[in-house]
Parts: sequence; C-alpha cells; structure tokens
Amino acid sequence: MGFSLIFGVTHAFNLAHGELIVLAGYLAYALWHFWHIPFYWTLPVCILLLPVATLGLHWLLRRLPAPFELNSLVVTFGLAIMLQNLFLAFFSADFRLIMLPAAPVLDFPDLSIMVTANQALLVSLSLAATGLVHLFLHRTFLGKALRATIQNREGAALAGIRVGQMQLIAFGVGGTLIGLAGPLFASNMYLYPAGGMEATLIAIIITITAGVGRTRSLLLGGWLLGLAESLAVLLIGTSWRELISAGILLAILLWRPEGISSRKTGIT
Amino acid sequence: MTGEVCGAQGDNGLHKRALLRGWSQAGWRRYIWVLLVCSFLGSGPAWGAAIRLGAINPLTGNLALHGIEIHQGIVAAVEEANARGGLQGHPVELLSRDDQSRPDVALNQTQDLLYREKVVGLLGGYVDSLVGPISTMAARHGTPYVAAASLQQSLTEQGNPFFFRVSCMSGVVKPLGRFILERLKPAKVAILYTATPGSTEFATRLKEMLAEQGIAIPLFEKFRPGTPDFSVLLLKAREQGDDLLISGGFFPDNLLLARQLREQRTPLKAFIAPWGVAYEKFIRELRQGSEGLMGLCAWNPGITYPGTETASQAFVKRFQERFGQAPNTTTMHGYTAARALLAAIEQVLGKKEPLSGPAISRELRSLDLLLPMGRLRFDEKGDPLDYRQVIVQIQQGKLQVVYPPERATGELWYPLNAASPQ
Repeated sequence: MGFSLIFGVTHAFNLAHGELIVLAGYLAYALWHFWHIPFYWTLPVCILLLPVATLGLHWLLRRLPAPFELNSLVVTFGLAIMLQNLFLAFFSADFRLIMLPAAPVLDFPDLSIMVTANQALLVSLSLAATGLVHLFLHRTFLGKALRATIQNREGAALAGIRVGQMQLIAFGVGGTLIGLAGPLFASNMYLYPAGGMEATLIAIIITITAGVGRTRSLLLGGWLLGLAESLAVLLIGTSWRELISAGILLAILLWRPEGISSRKTGIT
Repeated sequence: MTGEVCGAQGDNGLHKRALLRGWSQAGWRRYIWVLLVCSFLGSGPAWGAAIRLGAINPLTGNLALHGIEIHQGIVAAVEEANARGGLQGHPVELLSRDDQSRPDVALNQTQDLLYREKVVGLLGGYVDSLVGPISTMAARHGTPYVAAASLQQSLTEQGNPFFFRVSCMSGVVKPLGRFILERLKPAKVAILYTATPGSTEFATRLKEMLAEQGIAIPLFEKFRPGTPDFSVLLLKAREQGDDLLISGGFFPDNLLLARQLREQRTPLKAFIAPWGVAYEKFIRELRQGSEGLMGLCAWNPGITYPGTETASQAFVKRFQERFGQAPNTTTMHGYTAARALLAAIEQVLGKKEPLSGPAISRELRSLDLLLPMGRLRFDEKGDPLDYRQVIVQIQQGKLQVVYPPERATGELWYPLNAASPQ
C-alpha cells in the first residue's frame, strides 16, 4: 500500500521499496535480538522511524531533473543496491528470524483449520492498517486531496491543492506503512540483505493488479493472489504456484488494465 | 608506394643476411644454449613468482551466506600455505570473484579469471547451477577446477578431465537412506525439494531408495527456493499422516519450514534436512524451535574425521583468530577444495614440470590426503572416493552425531518431540 500511495501521488517508481521494508525488519530484529525489547514494542518504533527514511528519499527525489519517472527509477535502484550492501556490512549475509510464541489462537483439528498467533497478528494488523488508510483517504479533507492528486495532478493544483505538500504526506504515510510492514515481514519470513527485491516485485504486482491508490482493491488483490497460490499448491501442486499468479496478473491486465475494481467513470 | 615498401623489405633482407654471416660457430652455440635455458625456465613460474588461483563464489545475492563461508575456507587454506613459505618457494595469490548467485555472472567472472588474469586453477562454487557453467568453461580452457559444493551426478559423468569436487551425491543419500531404514523405520515419508539440479537429484534418488524398501512417499513436491509459505504443504503432510519430513531446501527454506512446523504443531516424528540444519546459525535463529531437528554434515568444530582431531582444532583456532567466528561444514568444504588444489600444484612444482592444466589434473587424480573432513582421493571422474556425511541432531542447542553408530556422540531423540533419548 505504501508503494502504491507514493507511486500514485508522486509518480516515483520506488525500486528501493523492498529494501526499506527489510530496513524496518532489521531495525525490529536489532531491537528484539540485541536489546531484548518485546516484539510488539518494535512496531511503534519502526512506525515512527521509517517515515524519516522515506522523507529523506523524498528530499533526494525532489532534486532530480526531468524526466522524473525515469530518473527516480535509476536513483531508487542505486539506493536499493546501497542499502543491500549496508545490510551486508552491518548484519552480514546471515538469515535472521524473529521468533514469536508458537501458540495457536484457533485450532479445529477435525476441519484442518488452525490459525497461529503470528498469522492472527499479521491479518489483524494488515486489516487495521488498510482500514485506517481507507478512512483517511475517504473521510478526511487531506485524504481527499491526496486522492485528487492521484487522479489528476494538474487538476488538483488548479483546484488549489498544494501538490508538493501532498507528495510529502504520501512519503510520510508510505513510510509509516513500511514501518509496520517491516517487523511483520521479519516475523513471518526471514531477513537477509538481498531479501527486499522480492518484496518490491510483489508490491509492483499488487499495484498493477489493484490499481493505484485503491485501498480496498489492494487488499482484495493481495488476498486474491495469496489464496490462488495456496489453492494451487493444495489442489494441483507447487509447480503451478507461480504459473497461477502469472495467469491472474495477465488476465487482469487484459480484462481490467486500470485495476481489479476500477470503474470507467473514475476512482472508487 | 608499393615500390617503397618492396625496397624497404629488400634492404631489411640484406641486413639480416649480413648479420647471420657475421655470427661465428661459438656465437650460434651460445644462442642455442640461451634458448634451451630459457625454454627450461619457462616451463614453470619464475623463482619466487606468485601462483595465481581464482575463486568464484556467491558473495552477494540469495546464496551469499554459504558463498562467503566457502570463500573464507579457501582464504584460510591459501594463507596457511603462504604462512609456511608458499608452494616450493612460490607465494600463492588468490583472485576472488563474486558471481552474485547468478550463473551468467559466474560465467563472466570465470572468463575474466581464465583469459585475462590467467589463473592456473579455479576453486569454489556453491550449488550446481553455478558450478556447472564454471566447470564447462574451465574444461574448454583446460584449467583444473576443484568445486567446493557440488552434487549433481551428470557434472562428473560428462568426462570432463579438469573438473574435481570434494562432495558427491552418494555421500549424502546413502548415509541418510541407511539411517532412515535402520533407525527411524517410518511407514510414510514426505519429501520436499527445491527446483535446483542437486536438490532434485537428491530427492529422486532418496525416493527410489526408500520406495524399494516399501516405504510410501505420499508427498513428493518441488518448491522454489525462497518460498515464503509452507503451511499448505505442512497441512498436506498432516492430513496424509506422514511420519517423516525430508527437506531438500537450503538454509533459509529450512528456517521457515522449521518455524512453521513448530507454529502449526505438525505431528511429525522427525524432520531431516541435508542442507542448512547443521549450523550454529540455524540453532541461534530458531532457538528452542530447533531442538530435535536433524541434518547432515561432513565436519563441524566438534565433529571431525577420526585421526584428524589435532589438525581440526588447529584449523578452528586459526580460523577464529582470522575471521572472528567459528568455521562450519561449508567452510570446511572450501578449505578442503583449496587444500587439494594447492597440494596438486605443489606436486607438479616438486617434479619441476610446467604448471599446465593436464599436469595439475593428473596430480589431483593421484592425491591421497587426510584432512579434517576425511580422506580425500578422487576417482577417474573427479568425484571424491571417501566422502560420507554424518547425521546430526540438535540436542540442547548442540549438534550431536546420531548416525553412523561408530561416530555417534549422542543418543537419538525419536520421535521429534521426545524429551529424552530413544
């Protein structure tokens, strides 16, 4: 969602998005592993600190000459490589895990249904974050101004919206979401210096699937891809996993190139 | 223009003939002697000149963890050789390259080392998808390549006279198969493996071995390295009532698998992974979640080939002083590969022969070394004759050898959640 928001408002194609998630993950790992801070306390710390990193990125990108889209691609790619090497220097190439208590919160053995504490935390926090961003974008004046900037920057500027400030806010909100995603990523996957590339790729795929700046569609697109992959593994085997995801992506691009829940009249 | 050129050639020809006529018989003899001496000296490196070796490893990217470990093992062996005066008076220069965990980059780096840097031998490599292209390129150039971590059978069956490796598939599959049949005796086994040549071959051979003995393999699935979620596969294993889960995944895959196994409380009797479990780092990351898990290793600071305890301890001490951390089984594979190549080069130099690819390969083929990882001899194909891994289990945060019995350091905990030995 952070990637989609930043891309929608600023047109900056942030290839260092995954590395920023990994940065937040490493920060949470360092707090949890070296300073023995409970995992749940690492979430607010990352949520507060990551916007500083994304605002720094905004400051850097503002200085780019035209063509902005292409130059932002090159600069963020360079930043991604730089961050990877910094991770390598500070954390070595080791794979790092944040281990949470393994108690299941829901277990129905007869139905083969089990929800672990980790899964429950991930789902509830991602739902809460999506809900809050949705409310912010649809119920506040600032959010509506952000959506207007996503739809048409020139039109928004003519209507009196300060596009520069909107970009700053988009990077700030994007940073907050990355700050939340990082520790959750570390507690569900593993951290390693090159681990951000896949996260960037997933963010790009979900943004293409859902459409830019559409919160409900982003959630729907993410869950649709995840469920389709899991069902493919369960029913026809792991070899089909990537093929199914690629098929869905191609179908959406052909059927709904503006996004999964787009309407011809405009934004949802 | 043409005439000027012809005239110039004619003048040169006259000048040369005059020079040749002016040489006495003694002068000719001296000239021939100088040529002979030069050709003799040219057969090996000049006295004290460095012997250049190339190492290609994944130092960045997905495989960086093990690539760096192999690289450190190679560096340790080269520094050890230089510390004792080099090879027959020649210092060894190691040129290290990063293949970024990508076969295309591995090929470019190999070309650079062979054609521009003119190394006399190649070392390193992790996983067959990277080792394969390097071995083909090295063979084309006629340069020996000793791979540190390669398993795929076809690589040594291609008749490549310049390819050698210190590990092989049978050294992994045979002890694991015997351990399962003799000690675990499961009814149903689930095998998960990655879409890499070595892992696929491992899984296929193990499946054949177990199926021959009547063991059912209801779950036999391939996954992409770096898969983020195994919960569906674990659900399948649970529903099928599998006793044993064997993972052909690498270190990060096994970290995730073990964590999700613990989170989902999958009722397995044992979890075994040949790659990635027998590491202190694995225990450090999973903590209590690693207890009872099994893996394979060829060496570890506390697990050494009988008769090499002193050499093993000395290596651990030197390595810790140099790199500030303990070596592991992957490091030892890198060290062993480098020791083999260095020993072969030293043999060639000792015989005052030119340092050519065929001469080094011949000496590699006749090597017989006793190293901490075991006895090292190569067969005609370049495979190690005596490579055998042992089965280890994580017990109270330590790696204990549980198979074969003659090397066991602890009792087997079976089934997985058993708090006490079997």
